[in-house]
Amino acid sequence: MMNKNNALETFSPLFEPKTIAVVGASARSFALPNTFMKRIRDLGYKGDIYPIHPSAAEIDGLTAYKSLADTPKPIDYAYIAVAGGLIPAMLETAKGRLRFAHVISSGFGEVDEGRDLQEKLVAAAHAGGLRLIGPNCMGLFSPRGSVTFAEVGQRDVGTVGVISQSGGLGTDIIRRGFARGVKFSGVVTVGNCADVVPSELLEYYLADAQTKVIGMYLETAKDGRRLFETLLAAKASKPVVILKGGRTQQGLAAAASHTGSLAGDDRAWVALSRQTGCVLVETLDQFVDTLLIFQSLKPNTAQPTKRVTLFGNGGGTSVLATDYFARLGLAVTPFGADTIDRLAALKLPPGTSITNPVDCPVGTLQQEDGKVAEKILDIIYAHGKPDALVMHLNLSAFVGRAKPEVLDNLMAAALRVQQKYPGQAHFMLVLRSDGEPALEERKRSFRVNAMALGVPVYDEMSNAGTALAALQWHERFIYTRAGSNA
Amino acid sequence: MNAQELITLARTQQRAALDEQAGKSLLAAYGVAVPQSRTVKNAGEVDIAFATLKPPLVVKIMSPDILHKSDAGGVKVGLQSAADVKDAINTMAASPKIQGARIDGYLLEEMAPAGQEMVIGGLRDPQFGPLVMVGLGGIFVEVLRDVSFRICPITRLDAAEMLNELKGVAILDGARGMKPVSIDAIIDVLMKVGGENGLLMRHADDVAEADINPLIVSGNGAVAVDARFILSTK
Repeated sequence: MMNKNNALETFSPLFEPKTIAVVGASARSFALPNTFMKRIRDLGYKGDIYPIHPSAAEIDGLTAYKSLADTPKPIDYAYIAVAGGLIPAMLETAKGRLRFAHVISSGFGEVDEGRDLQEKLVAAAHAGGLRLIGPNCMGLFSPRGSVTFAEVGQRDVGTVGVISQSGGLGTDIIRRGFARGVKFSGVVTVGNCADVVPSELLEYYLADAQTKVIGMYLETAKDGRRLFETLLAAKASKPVVILKGGRTQQGLAAAASHTGSLAGDDRAWVALSRQTGCVLVETLDQFVDTLLIFQSLKPNTAQPTKRVTLFGNGGGTSVLATDYFARLGLAVTPFGADTIDRLAALKLPPGTSITNPVDCPVGTLQQEDGKVAEKILDIIYAHGKPDALVMHLNLSAFVGRAKPEVLDNLMAAALRVQQKYPGQAHFMLVLRSDGEPALEERKRSFRVNAMALGVPVYDEMSNAGTALAALQWHERFIYTRAGSNA
Repeated sequence: MNAQELITLARTQQRAALDEQAGKSLLAAYGVAVPQSRTVKNAGEVDIAFATLKPPLVVKIMSPDILHKSDAGGVKVGLQSAADVKDAINTMAASPKIQGARIDGYLLEEMAPAGQEMVIGGLRDPQFGPLVMVGLGGIFVEVLRDVSFRICPITRLDAAEMLNELKGVAILDGARGMKPVSIDAIIDVLMKVGGENGLLMRHADDVAEADINPLIVSGNGAVAVDARFILSTK
């Protein structure tokens, strides 16, 4: 295993490259590499950009060079998207002048006829004294280095570091993440992992001070052993969320024993999660939901999350959520008599349930133009003392019933009260809507306000539940293993 | 023979797996309790061997050609006298499923005291290296697939969590009026097999799959009654 300093030293130039070469940009048309150059310039990349072209003197206003060996300065990062067969010879010419070659092109190890070419590519990378990322991927997003392969439109440096074996999914993670308020310290698409493997980048993110949360989309793990050892050594110091795809039957094929036939690939991943505390998720939505909760809320490892209060409108929604949360090991249990007495003293209208879940119809929530929520939340925080509080609003139910400012007041009350009790309970919002454009727009603006205060917002109760269960998993792992040698 | 010599010998003999006696010797080398046993070539050698063992005994066929001994009629339990043992051997030798096989001999073994049947297994995963498995024996493993896996090496905490993960864990604590069994004894065996200096870590290159089935666990100990180690194809 690489030590912490090595990983930082090796990969820092990848995330903050001072010089970038672009191979495959066209002097006449607008190819993918031209788009890459445009995107990094739009993002404000300040270093030198060297288009590499066999004949053109200039591409998109930048001086072009004939090969990776001809650039004025050594190259930190090369974005390479040309016919695969041309790349090995090109890399050999780099001769120690290039740190990272990110090969976007496909037609390598992912297809039978490309296996030999991939071997040549790796050999050429070694001969050229460089590290190879990919091939068969999309590129890199590093806001601190102003590098992006995806259309992002913003450069906020965040705390979520992602490694994705799929390029397309990498784009989804970035763009859907943004829409939800996830901010990245980096996203690297690694494709076939012919040279740089996911566990190496994991080592980097674990050592990188900017990164607080790590997400990985993995299809195969030929570096599985190193992944296990790296995660084990990290002792869950940062939450690691793994979305595992492409479960093969390798482990089953030749099984001659009971143990062999019982294994299946999934068992090893479940074991990995239990032994190292990493969180396994199954869908892209869960992946983003889970990264969001870890980005927003500080794990309470001294007292893992167990008791949850649900507060909002929608009786059926509350019942279904209580069931769903219970299945995840999250207890929505009734308050003690003291808390119930205090809530009862508010004399809320009939139809309101105050035992937990606290179910308030729109008629209740619009009392005092929505300011009643502040009183309810105050009592829940001060006396109910749950580990987590999920406030949910079905925006649809307010349409045509309440003045528009009622929702504004409810949101303001929610955000104000949670600030009054810092660190006391995990606070999450679920804003439910029905796709109607005006409501979606209000929801979007509520979300922006909430995220600015560090409150994660979810679309449905089940999304919030899954994310909260992931947080609980991480908290429990550290709580159980703190102080033990395990 | 030490552990590595047992494996080297089996490889020299071009065996795909350790025979039962070699498998148990391998376990014994790691401190796992196995029943007292003797091997005999034929019924003529039974008297001397019988005198050193405490009946009741079980007799098992030893043949590289027979993987599933019970199915072939190659196991006979509850034998109280030397005459019983000789009868069992003669009957096996004459049975149609055994006649054509190469026979290395017969294993005479003391029977383990009654207890809960468990299974402990091992597997070399192509991505993660050695894995260790535990489950309750019988239908729990065969039908319900109620087992848990971990990546080696495991800690005692991992081993305890593996047992807690089993749906049938309550049986170990003495559900349905049964006697509780020693959890510590199971964890000890899991550590000897899957722990830091355990069998699966030390022989990761050689052992492709392992089955200790059954491991019989009582209130104060655990005995490996049968064991199979399938060697990797190098």
